[in-house]
Amino acid sequence: MRVVIAEDQVLLRAGLARLFQDGGHEVVGVRGDVEDLEQLVEETKPDLVVLDVRMPPTFTDEGTNAAQHLKETRPDLGVLVLSQHIETKHAIELTTYAAFGYLLKDRVLDVEEFLHTAERVAAGGSALDPEVISRLLARRRASPADSLTERELDVLALMAEGLTNAGIAEKLVITERTVETHVRHVLTKLDVPEDSHRHRRVLAVLAHLRSG
Amino acid sequence: MAGSRLDARHVLLLAMTLTCEAFAVIASWSLEPYWDTLIYAAFSPAVVVIGVLIATHHPRNPVGWLLAAGGVLTAFSDAAQGWALRGHEEGWPGVAAADLLANSIWLASGALTVATFLIFPSGHLVSRSWAWVLALGVLGSSLGTVGWLLSPDSGEAFIGGENPYAVEGSPAEAAYFVGLSALAAALLLSVVSIVVRLRSAEGVERQQLKWFLFGAVLSAAIPPAMAPLWFSVPAVRPVTALALFALPVTAGIAMLRYRLYDVDLIISRTVLYSLVTALVAAGYVVTALVLGVFLGHGSAWTTAGATLVAALSFRPLRQRLQSQVDRWLAPTRQQAVLTLRKFMADLRADREEPEGVEAALQRALADPGVRLRFHIPESSEPLDIHGAPAPTSAGREVVPISRSGVLLGDVLLPAVAEERRAVLPAVLAEADLAVEIARLRVLLSRRLDEVKDSRRRIVTAAENERRRIERDLHDGAQQRLVSIGLALRHAQHELRGGVAPGAESVIGAAVDEVTLAIAELRELAHGIRPGCLDEGLSGALHELAGKMVFPVRVDASDTRYPPEVEAAAYFIACEGLTNAVKHARATHAEVEVDTLGDRLVLSVTDDGVGGAEPRAGSGLIGISDRVAAHGGTFALESRPGRGTRLVAEIPCVS
Repeated sequence: MRVVIAEDQVLLRAGLARLFQDGGHEVVGVRGDVEDLEQLVEETKPDLVVLDVRMPPTFTDEGTNAAQHLKETRPDLGVLVLSQHIETKHAIELTTYAAFGYLLKDRVLDVEEFLHTAERVAAGGSALDPEVISRLLARRRASPADSLTERELDVLALMAEGLTNAGIAEKLVITERTVETHVRHVLTKLDVPEDSHRHRRVLAVLAHLRSG
Repeated sequence: MAGSRLDARHVLLLAMTLTCEAFAVIASWSLEPYWDTLIYAAFSPAVVVIGVLIATHHPRNPVGWLLAAGGVLTAFSDAAQGWALRGHEEGWPGVAAADLLANSIWLASGALTVATFLIFPSGHLVSRSWAWVLALGVLGSSLGTVGWLLSPDSGEAFIGGENPYAVEGSPAEAAYFVGLSALAAALLLSVVSIVVRLRSAEGVERQQLKWFLFGAVLSAAIPPAMAPLWFSVPAVRPVTALALFALPVTAGIAMLRYRLYDVDLIISRTVLYSLVTALVAAGYVVTALVLGVFLGHGSAWTTAGATLVAALSFRPLRQRLQSQVDRWLAPTRQQAVLTLRKFMADLRADREEPEGVEAALQRALADPGVRLRFHIPESSEPLDIHGAPAPTSAGREVVPISRSGVLLGDVLLPAVAEERRAVLPAVLAEADLAVEIARLRVLLSRRLDEVKDSRRRIVTAAENERRRIERDLHDGAQQRLVSIGLALRHAQHELRGGVAPGAESVIGAAVDEVTLAIAELRELAHGIRPGCLDEGLSGALHELAGKMVFPVRVDASDTRYPPEVEAAAYFIACEGLTNAVKHARATHAEVEVDTLGDRLVLSVTDDGVGGAEPRAGSGLIGISDRVAAHGGTFALESRPGRGTRLVAEIPCVS
C-alpha cells in the first residue's frame, strides 16, 4: 500500500511513517501542511492519504477541508483523517464518502488494528472511530423511542464503524449467522432499509443516528 | 472692560465732592448735631460714587450722570452751609450768599430727581409725551428757586433769620408756591411714569424697576413712619437720615448688580417684617392699654403682659402673613417654591421618582430647556439625570450645585426669564435633597454597570482561558504522548523476535499506559471545555445527556448563540444534571433550550426529591453567579417531593 502522510508535528509524522513502513507499506510522501498535497497525490498516486485535522496556517480544520477536497476529486482514493478529539459533525459529513475513515489520533498506538483499518479504507471501506459511534448512540439513548438490546447496540456500533458481518462476528466472538440476526433486528428497529452494500448500510445507520 | 475705566470727568466729580464735604465737615463741626454733619457728608460722596460707577459701566446712559450731578449739588450745598455756619461764628464775608446757596439747591435737586425717575433705567423716556413732565419739573424748579430767593417769608430758614435778598411786595411768594406745586406735580407724575414703565417691562428691566421702586418707597416711607418717635427717641433721627441712602443704593444695585439678590424676596420680606412689626407693636400697645385699665398704667404686670402678647404673637403672625405677602408681591417665587414643595411631598409619598426633580425644576422655572447634570468621580464627563452623557453647556448659563463643599453638578439654563432666574436659589434650596438622591442613583447605577461589565469581562476571559487550555492539552501534551507511543511501538517492532523478549512486553505495557494517559487527558480537556461546544449547544447537550446514568431528554434546536452564552448554558445544564444525580436521586430529567426574544432560556427539570436550596458552596450558587455574570436571571423551583426545575435566562448580547 502506498501511503502519503500530512502531519505538522515532526515527531508524529516520523512516527507515523515508521509505523506504516514497519507494517510493510510504502510511504511515498510526507508533508507538514496541506499546501501542495494535491500535487503530491497526483505525482505519487498513493492508495491512502493520512491527514491530521489541525494543520497550518490556522490550526483549525485545514485537514478536514483538504480531505473533503480530495474525496470530491478522487472518490476512489482512500482518505484517513486523524483528530485530537471527537468532532461528530465533521466525522459524519465526511463518512458519506466511500473509502473514508475518521479516527482519534491515539488509535495509532494499537498498531495492528490501526493498520487493519487503514487497509480497509484504502480498499474502499469505511472507518468511523468507535468513540464517535458511542457518542451518537449515547445521544440516541437519550430518546426512549428505541429499545435495542445491549448486544444489538454492540452490533450497531461495529456496523457503523464499517465492519462487515464477518468482521463483527470475529470481534464479538459469535457466529456470523448470529450477527446476521442481530443486524436484521437492528435495521428493522431503526427503520433502515436492508441493503447488501456495505458502505450504504453504514450511511443509513449513521443518517438515522444523526437524526436522533 | 473698556467701558468701566475711570476718566478725567469721573475723577473731577469725585474730587469736587470730596473737597466740598471735607470742608463742610471741618467748617460745620460742633455747630450742628454730629450725626447731621457726618451722615450728610457721607451721603453726597456715596451718591457720586454710585453715579460714577453706573456712568463707567453705562457711559451712554444719563442715569449715572444724573445721580452724580445730584450728589455734587448736595456736596456744594453742604459746603455752602458749612461756610455760612462757620462764617456766622467767625465773621467771615459772604455768609448770607453762602446760606442762600445752601438753602436753594434742594429745588434744583428736585428737577434732577424728576429727570432720573423719568428715564430710569434705560436712559430714555417711556414715550415722547412724558417730555412735558420733565419740562414741568424744570420750570417748577426754576420758578420755585427764583420765588424762594426773593420771598421774605423764606427768611426763617436762614441763619440770620432773615432773607437778605427779599424783595418786599413782589409776587415772589406766589411764584414760589406755583413753582413748588409744579415740581411736586412733576415728581408725582415721574413716579407714575415708573409704574407705567413697570407694567409693560419684562426681564432685566422689570427687576431693575422693582429695585428702584423699592428704594423710592423706603426713602419715602421711613421718615413718616419714624415721625411718631422723632421727639421721644432721638436715635431715630440718624436712622431716618440713613433712609436717604436707600434710593441711590437701590438704583446702583438695579443698574449694576440686579442679579445678585432676589428683589422679589427682599421686597416681600421687607413688607412682611414691616407688617409684622407694626402689628406686634399695635398688639403691645392695645394689650398695655387694656391691662392698664385693670392693673394700673406703668405696672410691671402690664408691661410683662404686653411683652408676652407681643412675643407670643410674633411667630404665628409671621407664618400667617408670609404666604399671603408672597402671593401678592412675589407670585412667581411663591409658585416656583410651591411647585418644588409639592414635588418633594410626592417624592416622600412615593408618587414621584427622584429623577422627576428635573421636570419639577422645568415646571418651576417655566422652561422645558432646563437641565440637570451631575459630576461623578467615575466619569470624566458630566452625566444627565438618567446617567447618560449630559448635553453640552453651549448657549446655556451654568449654575453650579454644591452640598457640603462638594460640587454635585450644575443646572443648565437656556434662556430663563429674569424673574424666574431670580428664584433659582430658593427653588434649589427646596430641591437639593432630591437632586442629591438622583445623583446618588446615577452614581450607583454607573458603578453597578461597571461592576457588571467587569464581571462579564472576567467570565469571558475565563471562558477564553478554558478554550486555550483545552487546545493546549490536545495539541501539546496529547500529541506528544502519541509520538512517544509511536516511538515505543517502533522500538517494540525492532526488538521483535530478537534477543530480549522480556523488553518487548515491557514496552507493550508502557504503550498501554501511554494510551490510558491520552484517554485521561482527553477527558480532562473535555471537562475543562467540551470541544463539541464548537459545533453547537444542541450537540453538546445531547452528548452530555448521553453520559448520564438516567434517561435525559434534550429539547434543543440547532440555533446558534454567542459562544460564551452557549458555554454558560452548557455548564449550567451540567450543574443542574449533576445536582439531579448527586442530591435529588432523580430517575429522569429534561433539558430544554429555547429562544425568547434576544434571550436564551435554558431549563433543567428532574423528578427527584426536590427541596434544593442555593447554599454557599453549592452548585446552584455557582449557576446563579454564572447567569448573573451574563446579565441574566435565574429561577429555582424545588418543593420537597415535587422535583426540581431551574430556569436560566441569558441575554444574547455579543
